[in-house]
Amino acid sequence: MKDKDLSHIKVTDYAGKLAKSFLYSPLTAVLAIFLLAIGYLSLEIMPREEDPQIAISGGSIIIPAPGLKPKEIEKIIVEPLEDKLREIKGIEHIYSMSMNNVAVVNVMYFIGQNREISNLKLYDKVMQNMDKMPKNIMQPLIKPFDIDIDIPIMNIAFYQKDNSIKYINFLATVENLKKEISQLNSVSKTQLKGEHKEQYNVEVDLGKLKGYHLSLGQIVNGIKSIAIRVPNVDTNTKDNKLVVFGIKNAIESIKDVQNIMVAQYMGSPIYLKDVATVTDGIDTQNKKSASIILKNGQKYEQISLAVSKLAGTNAVFVADDVKKLLETNREFLDKAGIGYTITRDYGVRADDAVNELVHHLVITIAIIAVMLVFFLGWKESIIVTFTVPAILAATLFVAFMSDQTINRITLFAFLLSLGLLVDAAIIVIENIHRHLHDHESEHQDMDTLVIKATDEIGAPTNVATLAIILTMVPMAFVGGMMGEFMKPIPLNVPVALLASLFVAYIFTPYLSKKLLKRKNDGVHHHKIKEGGEK
Amino acid sequence: MPHNKHQGKKFENFVYATLDKPFKKILVIVLVFASLFGSVMMFPTKTVLAKMLPGKSTNTYTVYIDTPSGSSVTQTKEVTQCVTNILQKEKAVTDLEVFLGQGSPLDYAGLVKGSGMKMGEQYAEVVVNLTDKHHREEKSFNMVQRLRPIIQNTCKPIVAGTSIKMIEMPAGPPTLASIVVEVYGKDNSKVIALSHQVASILKNTKDLVDVDIMADETYTKYELVPIKEKISRSGLSVDQINKILYLAFKGMGVAVKNTIVLNDQTPIYVSLSKNSKTLDSNTKDTLRAKLSSLSLMNKKGMMVPLTEVINIKETPSNPMIYHKDLKTMVNVIAETNMVSQVYPLLDAREKMIEYFSKDYKVSKVPGITTYMFDLNLIDKKTGDKYLLRWDGEMKVTLDTFRDLGGAFIAALILIFLLLVIYYKSFAISGIILGGSFLSIIGVIVGHWVADLVTTETFFLTSTSLIGFIALMGISSRNSLLLIDFAKGLIEKKGIEKRRAIAIASATRAKPIILTAIAIILGSALLASDPIFGGLGVALISGTVAAVIVSLIFIPVLMDNTKAI
Repeated sequence: MKDKDLSHIKVTDYAGKLAKSFLYSPLTAVLAIFLLAIGYLSLEIMPREEDPQIAISGGSIIIPAPGLKPKEIEKIIVEPLEDKLREIKGIEHIYSMSMNNVAVVNVMYFIGQNREISNLKLYDKVMQNMDKMPKNIMQPLIKPFDIDIDIPIMNIAFYQKDNSIKYINFLATVENLKKEISQLNSVSKTQLKGEHKEQYNVEVDLGKLKGYHLSLGQIVNGIKSIAIRVPNVDTNTKDNKLVVFGIKNAIESIKDVQNIMVAQYMGSPIYLKDVATVTDGIDTQNKKSASIILKNGQKYEQISLAVSKLAGTNAVFVADDVKKLLETNREFLDKAGIGYTITRDYGVRADDAVNELVHHLVITIAIIAVMLVFFLGWKESIIVTFTVPAILAATLFVAFMSDQTINRITLFAFLLSLGLLVDAAIIVIENIHRHLHDHESEHQDMDTLVIKATDEIGAPTNVATLAIILTMVPMAFVGGMMGEFMKPIPLNVPVALLASLFVAYIFTPYLSKKLLKRKNDGVHHHKIKEGGEK
Repeated sequence: MPHNKHQGKKFENFVYATLDKPFKKILVIVLVFASLFGSVMMFPTKTVLAKMLPGKSTNTYTVYIDTPSGSSVTQTKEVTQCVTNILQKEKAVTDLEVFLGQGSPLDYAGLVKGSGMKMGEQYAEVVVNLTDKHHREEKSFNMVQRLRPIIQNTCKPIVAGTSIKMIEMPAGPPTLASIVVEVYGKDNSKVIALSHQVASILKNTKDLVDVDIMADETYTKYELVPIKEKISRSGLSVDQINKILYLAFKGMGVAVKNTIVLNDQTPIYVSLSKNSKTLDSNTKDTLRAKLSSLSLMNKKGMMVPLTEVINIKETPSNPMIYHKDLKTMVNVIAETNMVSQVYPLLDAREKMIEYFSKDYKVSKVPGITTYMFDLNLIDKKTGDKYLLRWDGEMKVTLDTFRDLGGAFIAALILIFLLLVIYYKSFAISGIILGGSFLSIIGVIVGHWVADLVTTETFFLTSTSLIGFIALMGISSRNSLLLIDFAKGLIEKKGIEKRRAIAIASATRAKPIILTAIAIILGSALLASDPIFGGLGVALISGTVAAVIVSLIFIPVLMDNTKAI
């Protein structure tokens, strides 16, 4: 690079200073490439998710109190507890439900309260006041809400296409898969829904019970006395060798249960199977169930597996890993007659949203470029078009460094700033363009011209951009969930606007110097200032 | 480009001519204020409707089915079956997931609607998964609107008192419901009774759907009263009776067997067989007959029929007591059918005032707060006090608009201070600020036009408001560049003021129009988006207004001020 002395050009604004110092700097081109590179990397690496993460803290206190009625629960458990909870700072709402046999108190903190501290405060308060709890209730359960962990990013429905394997084996297969998935990177919580446990069901026939003159209590005692598990016993031999022996479990299979003798009637034994139907089945008392109806109308009972991700991780990557794991297991599952359908995939949705933005951006840049070709010429158009990716790259990088994720609202912020961020470059290039075609500037050399032209509009552009930034900043103080939801706008739009200023002042003069030539074709000698000199 | 130059000259003369004649200047000012007044009047006349956030077309929605408390899982299943039968016929549906007795896996909407808390035989949720929105003709919210009446009319009557809600993914932060009326009072049963009246008013309000009272229905239950004397005399205990009843009808795991397949134990679960525990009908007598066949063995080994030691009493069930911030409260919720919640809310509120005036002394809450729609009720006979409070999306909307409004005013002040620092003149700063405020004309008119063009109602949403705030900055930039240029011409070149303003307008017209076109083109794709459409339209139409204002109205103001 040749070193050129530009010190004779007088500038008054930062715009001119920036233009001057970067016009011949060897770093300008490097900076441009560097900007684009970090922008692209940020776009690829930044965690993607659909909705922004909102720090909602709160928790549920569940107090089982068997035998108590709602009114009693309200008076002796809920009201004293609510009073105590009110003492915690930062709580917005306290909701309580006094039901038969159980009290549930939900606490919602103000948006933006630190989650760990909030959870601790809640636990602390309840534990401190345990002595004020009535005597006949059970230990309270305190469950903090955790929006990042609680909302699964993926749901997979597993179902048995044929009943070639037993339900318990089906469940075991799904549980094994669940275990494998929870070992994947960034997976936080995996949860099953609609699963049933294996259970030996003893359904006693009331009529037969009466016939044998038996009570239910006798049957229970009969089963209890047989189904006892004893640990192994050990003793030593004379020469100090260990001998281990144990009682074999009396119940190994469903047959053993059926053959439990519950009583004697007129001298002959009565077995459990005589008074009850004993089956090896699933937990019938569990009324929760889940099923799936597929496109072809087939209906299956399903076990639904929900996968959540850690906060601040990329939903797309996690979803991809899970899908890969499922794919490798497909054959094995097929053999066992197990089918699966992915019923929720936030990874794809997050990816779609981001790709849509990139698509939008490309189209918009193209349209603006075409428009500029008509108004200013194709070289000027190329210069402005270059500034857009450079500005977005800088903004993305800042967003990445400040631990933001790419989500719907971040994209909204980018789209909002899209129309604004070419402005600075357009204003600079238009002024350079005007001076190039202007009679007055004919005596100036190219360097002076681009720097002067940039400098001239510098001050008003700075103030104007600052004004737009000022309109965005107060949005950061909007409260509540909506404020939290919109936060990416005041965070990113000002950054984009600042970046647009720097890019416009650094790269526009630099590229104009490289690409634009003064036209001396005579047409432009019509003087614009004629009117003013009257 | 000689052509442009020529036009520049023409425009310069046009501006000069306008400035030169006082009549034309007044005409410009009158026109601007007339259009400002006209556009702002579009709100009270409901030409342009406001809404928090518009609907969002998604690939999934959920149907919540709540049969009345005390219903069995079989009844719930029947209603669910009916719902899935209707949904199955839809072409766009890829699969349906049914969750009985519990909520579906948590999502954003379910988080605040209490889906995760659901546990009981009366609950069911159906997750409807649709084909991708890009390959589907019908938007999900239109589909919901179309299916809602069909599903409700067909499936609701199966079990009386069932509530079926169709829950769409919220575009913004989720709320409990679009419309929530919190009924506060002292006595739970009276509050529930009042909330039923509120619900019936909401049901009869146009555009409100999925009305539900978030309280337990009272149903008849049977209380078994132990006769203490007989129990102790026959050598039994109340505990024994409790246990046997639970064992017989609910069942109990009495022992376990370890399994190796799962990390779990297999319980041995004892209960009465299905035939033995089912009652023929829901009456006291059948219950007594059933219980009489259940016997207990006392310490002496004698069998005592259960009915000997208890009395059966019919009582109403105890509904759940709900508190919000320590006060007894019942929520009545409703969704809006594709319209903004503001207008049905005001309708319903009017109806409530009229309806409750008979039995209650109704008073409105004074002042302007985010609770300004609340109603205080005082029972004329008993003097009991009740409060009807509007919450839900309405509250969030008011809160957000209040905060955004505050943000907007703060932005105005900040810009004004910045301009005063830069120009050291209140007059010029005032001109710029006043001019930028006028872009509201474009924003409102733009929404009106968009509403005319599109088939669905096009709402002025909070994204439109954000667009408007951004526009303030954009149009002040236009004015800034204009004034700066004109000042430069006057101070450096000594050109006469009026001519300088005209030249500045003509010279700056090109970059102003260029940046405006960039903004319009940049926002054009936004305008078709369901959520960001408001922003897109606001930016496009607001920019057009801003260009006209800065090129014609601002020069007039500049000419009138002495600061330049």
